[in-house]
Amino acid sequence: MAKRILITDDALFMRVTLKNILTQNGFEVVGEAANGREAVELYSSLKPDLVTMDITMPEMDGLEALKQIRASDPQAKVVMCTAMGQKNMVVEAVQNGAKDFIVKPFQPERVIEAVSKLLAA
Amino acid sequence: MRAEFVNPFVQATCDVVRLTMGTEPKLGSLSARPKIFTATEFNVSCGIVGDLVGGVLYGLSSETAYSVAKQMLGGMEEIPDELSTSALAELGNMISGNTSSKLQALGFVCDITPPSIIRGTNISISTIDIPALVIPIELGAHGSLEITVSLKERAAVKAA
Repeated sequence: MAKRILITDDALFMRVTLKNILTQNGFEVVGEAANGREAVELYSSLKPDLVTMDITMPEMDGLEALKQIRASDPQAKVVMCTAMGQKNMVVEAVQNGAKDFIVKPFQPERVIEAVSKLLAA
Repeated sequence: MRAEFVNPFVQATCDVVRLTMGTEPKLGSLSARPKIFTATEFNVSCGIVGDLVGGVLYGLSSETAYSVAKQMLGGMEEIPDELSTSALAELGNMISGNTSSKLQALGFVCDITPPSIIRGTNISISTIDIPALVIPIELGAHGSLEITVSLKERAAVKAA
């Protein structure tokens, strides 16, 4: 059965791009969230195998959503996927349980490598 | 505006353009403007806050905007306006985000605000009294991207 992924990004373009990359490589995109609050709600209702998480988003940013998802499910697999690749952002995300950190723009192979590795574990 | 703030924008733009458009970008001649205003039909605006304050505007002609969006969407025909606008906003977001990482390496910690789209020419963007620098980048067959940057150190803004 295909592994189930929740995409979180406020940019429609990025949600479409990630969905294409993931579905073309055999993953199922079960939901798309446009901000952190939607991601937290969809995580709890959809129980995906993995979440991709942008950081800068309206309503609730990705770091706060990461904290809330990991508080509700300490086993949650969250991959940050953001244009903000500063050291402090990476450190904060990893300290809060992010499993990988992909800086935009990315090559499709980088996304598949990160997701496959985590879902094989 | 200090010259050392220019390079991070140029480097980040070149990195992002190569990856998203497969084009080798070329830097044009820099020029100055008394403030930020739109000189092209399609513009992406991002604010910069932190050790540096100000903003950046990414300007494209309608033709270049369409060509770049199409390339970013893998050559898709019949692109819905919402999707092409989102692609170009994300282009501005990626360049700004990568720039802020490079500025941090120089010792300036900054955050960027989510991008907003401004359509139309000669619209003044900010009342911040910071002279702007225009960085033109040639995007091969797509046309050109005009980056207008207006930045100051926070300490300098406070003292003014």
